[in-house]
Amino acid sequence: MKLLFQLSIRNLCRNKRRNAMLLVAIAVAVAGVNATNTLLRGYQYDMLESAINNLTGHVKVMAEGYVDDPNVKHSFELSSEQLPQLPEGMVVGWADRLRIPAVIMSERETRGIELVGVDPAKEDISFIGEAEIEGEFLQGADDGRVLVGKELARQLQTSVGRRLVLIAQGADGLNRERGYRIAGTFDADGTGLEKNYVFVGLSSLQALLETQAITELSVRVDREEQRLPAKSALRAAFPELQVKDWRELDPQVAEMFKFADASLFIWFFLMMGALTFGLVNSLIAAVMERVKELGMMRALGMQNSTVLVQVVLESIILMTVGVVSGTCVSLLIYWSIADGIDLSAYAEGAEMVGVSSVLQPVLLSEDVFLVAIMSIILGILASFYPAWRVIKIRPLDALRR
Amino acid sequence: MTQAVSLSAPTSAPTGDTGLTWRLAWRNLWRNPRRTWLTAGGIAFASLLVTLSMSLQQGSYDAMVSSATGFYLGQAQINHNLYEDEGKLEQTVAPAGELRRSLEQISGLHVAPRVQVYALASVGQRSFGAAVVGVDFEAEQKLVSFFDRVTQGRLPVEDNEVLIGEALSRNLGAQLGDELVLLGTGKEGGIGALALTIAGLYASGRPELDRSLVFTQLASVQNGFGLGDEVHALVLGFDDIDKLAPNLERLSRGLPDNAELRTWQQLLPEVVQSIELDRISAVLFYGSILILVTFSVVNTFIMIIFERTREFGMLLALGTRPAIIMRQVQAEALMMWLVGTAIGLLLSNLLVGWAAVQGIPLGMMEEMAEQYYMPSRLYPAISLYAMSLAPLVLLFGTQLAAFFVTLRVRRLKPVEALRAE
Repeated sequence: MKLLFQLSIRNLCRNKRRNAMLLVAIAVAVAGVNATNTLLRGYQYDMLESAINNLTGHVKVMAEGYVDDPNVKHSFELSSEQLPQLPEGMVVGWADRLRIPAVIMSERETRGIELVGVDPAKEDISFIGEAEIEGEFLQGADDGRVLVGKELARQLQTSVGRRLVLIAQGADGLNRERGYRIAGTFDADGTGLEKNYVFVGLSSLQALLETQAITELSVRVDREEQRLPAKSALRAAFPELQVKDWRELDPQVAEMFKFADASLFIWFFLMMGALTFGLVNSLIAAVMERVKELGMMRALGMQNSTVLVQVVLESIILMTVGVVSGTCVSLLIYWSIADGIDLSAYAEGAEMVGVSSVLQPVLLSEDVFLVAIMSIILGILASFYPAWRVIKIRPLDALRR
Repeated sequence: MTQAVSLSAPTSAPTGDTGLTWRLAWRNLWRNPRRTWLTAGGIAFASLLVTLSMSLQQGSYDAMVSSATGFYLGQAQINHNLYEDEGKLEQTVAPAGELRRSLEQISGLHVAPRVQVYALASVGQRSFGAAVVGVDFEAEQKLVSFFDRVTQGRLPVEDNEVLIGEALSRNLGAQLGDELVLLGTGKEGGIGALALTIAGLYASGRPELDRSLVFTQLASVQNGFGLGDEVHALVLGFDDIDKLAPNLERLSRGLPDNAELRTWQQLLPEVVQSIELDRISAVLFYGSILILVTFSVVNTFIMIIFERTREFGMLLALGTRPAIIMRQVQAEALMMWLVGTAIGLLLSNLLVGWAAVQGIPLGMMEEMAEQYYMPSRLYPAISLYAMSLAPLVLLFGTQLAAFFVTLRVRRLKPVEALRAE
């Protein structure tokens, strides 16, 4: 085996130029696939992040009927101030919210919005916790001021410190109307969120609507897969309520998420398909120019299987070197764009497809590994045909060539 | 190899005869059919892949634009020039009736007037904020698909009837026939009020719209909110969206000074941008595939040059100029390209042609498609651009590959070359 290995290396070095070209082609393919993977993964994770951040969380607990009719009637009370027992280290954070549709009026304009009562300390799990604020953030759950989106403030022709009137339906079905001062405005990615949400302190909103209840409990876990155990734990703890994970709450994003997984493979096979033509071509040439010498070795007693192993080994070595250098190139590409690609010129388009305006590439070692393994397997498969061609030629004929 | 050279000795043209160059190129190509097929196969694969996906891409953009514009916003709108930014009630276009009549003279153009005011919509004790849109239902139906989505009842006919979203009706606890009271600010700061009967419910597939848009007759809103012959938007659409661009100048002619024409590119920047984003990411894909295939062509030519070193040496010894030999190899590269592209384009055209008739069902992605303004079946666009770009890039690539490889011929010494293995 060691001898075979040495032979393979030497054979490869016999035609440096051709093999170098082939190596470049392999490296381009591998680097291309890897670089695209990091972007695709970045896109996928970003989409997930946006979906989770958009007040969804990984898992959400709601009252039956709330989704169809977001009304304070469809609410529930959180008995004690704690979550059901979830495995250690799984939960990153959770937030209880009271979220209902409301009408907001400035002196000049009226808009329909979603009014969200929050405990600001718990909102580090959603976009509002990280958003850039002009003015002040809400100070606590009893803060009786509101936080509105920048775009909404613009449309309402109002600004920080001024007053707004909010009309919302109370627990008894009657409308409540109250004036609120604007604590601050928030700047979110894209204008969709800014137009839709108005935040207020949770207990302050509860007081207005004369209720103790909340409409949702949103839980964020550490890793995406953990949403399933978290979901079942929450289901057990809240048997009366609806417990849904983000994939059920946001099926479109979930569909896109799965699609991104599939496109990694589609992409790989297309690239490698294009590569295979060149690979097989070079391997055939490499084998056919040695027909005579291989014929002699076979005449001297080398077994067909050994010939096969020899050709396959050459292909594997070639592939491995190509994959390693391609991976190095893709790492370089990754580091050069690791800060993210600025898509702010396409912010609205990016928002439409559910990503933020800076695309952060994500490098997953398992992706790189998978690409490497699949490439080498491809190399093995591609070498069978050339090897088979050589073996088919009788040693005697081969020697006469 | 030895065999090949000795059998067909005078394979390259010693003279500059063009016809001979081509004949020889063709013959040389088939000296090693397997290699030629594999290389041409790579070219065919790449051109098939790239032309096919470009056609699909263009088709999906066309579909996206037509369903986005045909959904609600129209292909173009005439608005007050500050309305987009400020959206104030008094920022209207007038005289609307006259403007509409003159626009309708343009053949194939449909015009629908809209006014939009914000109001508190109440049924009994429950109230929600809503945007009240006054429209001409008949004109709208010729322009956009939005009003085909009535799920209960019918479109308003009488002046006091209203169409609301299913989601809003649930939120309000309202049913067909209930009275909906709309209360908001009218023009000049007065109170605008309307009491309407719910005639129909719609479900547009976009919950945020279903929750916030209510539709009634244009005149009712104009009267109820103190507007005269004014509209916030004249929505425009041609039978065929391709007619829009050549008619732009004519559409904006004769508009009042404070009005502006905005095309779908301005109305739907997110569509333009997401197309642009998709185009950029596709370039990465096409680029890698084409580079890859070019490298495999380079490889093939390296092999060709090596195994024909002796032959070239002999030609040089006979007095052939290196340029002629190089031309010969370029001709072979061209033939190789021709075979590959022909196969690739044939397959690609068959597939595109088939798909253009049948449509490709998007299957599981249907609900996703709706969000991105896509229909459930995708029809590729048939365009010269999509069909020719990849082949042209490959032509350039193969010629370049052959050129760099054959540069070596100029350095060949006839005597040494003749001795080569």
